[in-house]
Amino acid sequence: MANIILSLHEASRTVNSGSNKVTILDDINLQVEEGEFISLMGPSGSGKSTLLNCIGMLDAFTDGEYAFLGQSVHRMKEKDRSKLYKEYIGFVFQAYHLIDELKVYENIETPLLYKGVKASERKAMVADMLDRFGVVGKKDLFPQQLSGGQQQLVGIMRALIGSPKLILADEPTGNLNSKQSTEIMELFAELNKEGATIIQATHSENNAAYGSRIVNLLDGKIVSQ
Amino acid sequence: MLKNYFKIAWRNLLKNKIYSFINIIGLALGMAVAIMISLWVTDEIRYNNYFENYDSIAQIYQSQTFNGYTGTGTALPRPLEFLLREDYGDNFEHITMSSWTNSRYLKFGDKIISRTGNFMQEPALDILKLDIIQGVENGLKEQNSIMLSKSVAETLFGNDDPIGKIIKVNNEHDILVTSVYEDIPTNTDFGEVEFIMTWRHYVATQQWVTNAIDSWGNNSFQMFVKIADNTTMETVSSKILDSKKNANEDTAEFNPQIFLLPMKDWHLRSQFENGVQAGGRIENVWLFSIIGAFVLFLACINFMNLSTARSEKRAMEVGIRKAIGSNRKQLISQFLSESLLVVLFAFAVALGLVLLSLNGFNDLASKEITFPWSSIPFWAYSLIFILFTALVSGSYPALYLSSFRPVRALKGTFKAGKMAALPRKVLVVTQFTVSVALIIGTLIVMQQIDHSKNRPVGYDKEGLIQIPTFGQDFLGKQDLMRQQFLASGAVLEMSTSSSPTTNVWSNRGGYTWEGKPEGFQESFTWTEVSPEHVRATGMTVIEGRDFSREFATDSNAVLINKTAVEYMGLENPIGKFIMDEDEEDPDPPMQIIGVVEDVIAQSPYEPVGAGFYVFDGSNNGSFYNVRLNPNKSVSENLSIIEKTFKGLFPDLPFRYDFVDEEYAAKFASEERVASLARVFTILAILISCLGLFGLASFVAERRTKEIGVRKVLGATVANLWILLSKDFIKLVVIALLVAIPLAFYFMTQWIQKFDYRTDISIWVFVAAGVGALAITLITVSFQSVKAALANPTKSLKTE
Repeated sequence: MANIILSLHEASRTVNSGSNKVTILDDINLQVEEGEFISLMGPSGSGKSTLLNCIGMLDAFTDGEYAFLGQSVHRMKEKDRSKLYKEYIGFVFQAYHLIDELKVYENIETPLLYKGVKASERKAMVADMLDRFGVVGKKDLFPQQLSGGQQQLVGIMRALIGSPKLILADEPTGNLNSKQSTEIMELFAELNKEGATIIQATHSENNAAYGSRIVNLLDGKIVSQ
Repeated sequence: MLKNYFKIAWRNLLKNKIYSFINIIGLALGMAVAIMISLWVTDEIRYNNYFENYDSIAQIYQSQTFNGYTGTGTALPRPLEFLLREDYGDNFEHITMSSWTNSRYLKFGDKIISRTGNFMQEPALDILKLDIIQGVENGLKEQNSIMLSKSVAETLFGNDDPIGKIIKVNNEHDILVTSVYEDIPTNTDFGEVEFIMTWRHYVATQQWVTNAIDSWGNNSFQMFVKIADNTTMETVSSKILDSKKNANEDTAEFNPQIFLLPMKDWHLRSQFENGVQAGGRIENVWLFSIIGAFVLFLACINFMNLSTARSEKRAMEVGIRKAIGSNRKQLISQFLSESLLVVLFAFAVALGLVLLSLNGFNDLASKEITFPWSSIPFWAYSLIFILFTALVSGSYPALYLSSFRPVRALKGTFKAGKMAALPRKVLVVTQFTVSVALIIGTLIVMQQIDHSKNRPVGYDKEGLIQIPTFGQDFLGKQDLMRQQFLASGAVLEMSTSSSPTTNVWSNRGGYTWEGKPEGFQESFTWTEVSPEHVRATGMTVIEGRDFSREFATDSNAVLINKTAVEYMGLENPIGKFIMDEDEEDPDPPMQIIGVVEDVIAQSPYEPVGAGFYVFDGSNNGSFYNVRLNPNKSVSENLSIIEKTFKGLFPDLPFRYDFVDEEYAAKFASEERVASLARVFTILAILISCLGLFGLASFVAERRTKEIGVRKVLGATVANLWILLSKDFIKLVVIALLVAIPLAFYFMTQWIQKFDYRTDISIWVFVAAGVGALAITLITVSFQSVKAALANPTKSLKTE
């Protein structure tokens, strides 16, 4: 049996909106094994992004249990948690979220800086990455000089550079045209084949089809998986 | 990592050119002001530091009490020298008597120049330790010797060796040049001592000095000392305090107190009020230090304000960085290095500004400050200052930005709440409070100076020159000179006087008159004048008559001023006699023939003292007061006067001063303070406006969408302009409410120190308030109108 990367047990997230308590995620039970490619589906407001953020530890569940690689995340201190996700999780965003002031090369390099990787090693790793995706020629451009698809490619490279165990992608093709979308989804499928574990949130049936498993959310609840 | 921080900081600077410009220029201005002020303060504090015995040199001071008021000064009687040497000698290593700094004509060959210097005793050289560059160390051994400063020696002798040359002093005495010393710097109290001659020569050639040898009442000399190694200034002061009182009965009734004023206090703490040391220039040092700190503070506020305002735009970046693994410490370092970069940049610009404006500043402050390139403390302080400024101005944005929650920032829903803007508002209010307070302060200082300048002086100072006439050559020539001047057509009238019109050199007491109260200790300003003095200077006789050559009895006549009538308690002054109280050898009684309007000869801020204008019987005034012919141009008059003067005194240089300029010099110190304050106030306002401008553009940008929506819904440009401007106006109104009472309180305190003072008018506050609001509106409107005019489809599309 494959290793379990993460498991959620009755995990919930509520927020206070004025005097009302609003439940965004309700008793989520989910297990993710290494090598899976999961697609979270559901209409707007069903809680896909929140679930992704909570799994990515950018946000926290307010109730229930969350274990990542066997460690109880909900009992961790902020500092340990950030160490954990820095080490094992890579993010890909719908709006790419590249840093506008940094060149392609530097954007990809930044996570390594925060990990404290030595300069010579960084150079080699980024060069490998650029080479692998065939964008060596674009390394000195700024994000605005790239097309949306190319920007998302850089976003994915940035997510991959730290060799994460888990890639979280929130609507990675939401801002792209269909041709670019296909390219990006094929890239994800390939990465998955090479062994990466991926969770993506998506609206699109087409995109979801690339995954190995589909989890449907509605009003914060898992309705089918 | 650091390289990465600087890289992104640099790109951010380039990307936001307006913000960067405002940030850097604002901070640079603040720093330039702070550097300039600290150079000035250092120069003030290091005044007199040139002398290696700085810590052990003192000047002897004396306080005396007349009618309950204690006056303090440096003028001492000659017998005090012998008393201190004989009875208190162990307290001192060296003692020297000194004349005031007098001007003398120095002549060598055809060259004749007028220079200022002192007559001192040999120990003066051990006290001052001058830098002798030619000749003997002790150049005061022989009575007829002179020591010259380097520049005087160069002027007189050019490249020739001055040592051993004989020069003529005041056309009377042959004096041997014994030494040349390096010029004493101007930031010392001896900066005007361009030559030193012997005390013995002074005593031997001036009859009144010779006569003063046993006169305890003739306070006309200075004394400098170096105290002994084993004692302190306080100890010596306490020992000599009653020395004069115990030694001389006649003057004991004035309770003379003798004490030391250490050299470190000469420049900054030499004012005394009723016998108590009461500050002095140190107040200006404090004032400017505070202004400097404030201006820098304003600039730092700008920096913080703009950075935090901009932070909302950078929230996204913070979110991304956090999501890809940055911790808070790394973000704080990033923002601090950004602020360090800006501060370094600003410092470089500030250095440039200081170098460019140093000359102008020196003129304004009448200083000779040079830039301290090689001063290690300067650079060390600058470094501390840079780090401190970077930390203070960068810490708030650093801490604030790094505390953003990544999810909210990434979702793009991040908008600081109402509370987040509060610190920024407080900063704007603080900034405008300081600016408005500075505006009000400067206006009141300027008003006070104007008020004193417009005070009636009691004579006509325009078109009046004075020619100093010290020395044997002038003896007995005054009537002849007057006739020739009048005949030349350039002069309407000429008189002589024993003091310049703009000063009082002599005070006298020891008189009695009908109705003088018992125990009254009188003191009158004393000026000896020729009969034409009232006409030459344009004084006004308000009762009785002027002097006249027609009346032989006028040689014992006196004019008194209006204040004297009240001071002496006279009902009908004309015809009354004033008697000398001296029992052994009394001067003949003087009859009051007229009362003149008060003349401001001393401080224009103080009331005029009771004064006597006495008929000059000796035909030996110190000044010719010359009323120019108004029908000719000044230059024409002067060239005729010079020719006439040279006809009578071919060997003397023609020197003169315009009386109105001499009078204006009385305001120099206050005007200097005012013009410096004005410059700094303008800078403070400028810095505040830069900050406001940046903030307004930020607000306009942030509300682009709101403005777009409102416009679509039908808002007019005027509606939007009001919407965007009113928040700032509110803040400035709050600042006014804080600043006005504050400024009122402090300026009321300040103006108390002037006896002749202006009323603090409500219009000053109104003007400052209206001014501040107008400046705010103009600054803010530039941005708000631009935003209001923008096409809404454009602004809505960006969302």
